[in-house]
Amino acid sequence: MAELKIERHFKADPAMVFDFVTKPEHLAKWWGPEGMTLPQCALDFTKPGRWFSVMQNSDGKEHKVSGQITKVDPPNSVGFTWAWHDENDVRGNESFVTLTISAGQGGGTDFTLHHQQLPSTEAADNHVIGWTSSLRKLERMGN
Amino acid sequence: MPPLNQTFAALGDATRFAIVDHLLSQGEQSAGQLQQLTDISPPAVSRHLKVLRLAGLINQRVDRQKRIYSVNPAAIQAVNAWVEYHRKFWDSSLDRLERALDMEGLNNG
Repeated sequence: MAELKIERHFKADPAMVFDFVTKPEHLAKWWGPEGMTLPQCALDFTKPGRWFSVMQNSDGKEHKVSGQITKVDPPNSVGFTWAWHDENDVRGNESFVTLTISAGQGGGTDFTLHHQQLPSTEAADNHVIGWTSSLRKLERMGN
Repeated sequence: MPPLNQTFAALGDATRFAIVDHLLSQGEQSAGQLQQLTDISPPAVSRHLKVLRLAGLINQRVDRQKRIYSVNPAAIQAVNAWVEYHRKFWDSSLDRLERALDMEGLNNG
């Protein structure tokens, strides 16, 4: 179903990348798109628990997102749930984020971010493949 | 349009997903044609079609005795928009992560 997967390569080693995606002092440096500020947050992915962040864009509009940290496996992966809050602070539909870290072949770190509407299981992953091809079909229909 | 979570919940079921997928690739189909997709009973297929209709994923029209179903492109595009929104969100965040890592590398190197 709806999912996205982003792969990146970083020059830093896996231990450092893991620190940067789990420790509060590092998360605050990069969490949220360019131009967003982070007036309030509880971002500590070093242990299971709740997290949230309030991001503010240049117009002053605030966007809150929160979830539960479900998996911490240093220095390999972190998993957490994700849901946006509406203007009445009601939490919306939950999705699932997994960050995976491994040593790159020629040094550095291979990093994968997987964000999907179903928890990651083999069945869900197969589902995702089907969904992606369905969207392609839709695009062709539109052409 | 119904909220997206209803859309996602409706698609979380394998049979319903198969129905939507089939409509995407084949275009309009009658209830009878969709029935041939699965081994489950006609009433069960009807229930799945109702869930998909209430979630705004498919449209129904009646042609004489037949009910004809098609995908609602707006719902599919909403799902696609979810993916695009989050892709931008993470791409921009990860660009910042990369710069923070590079800066840390310079400071320690």
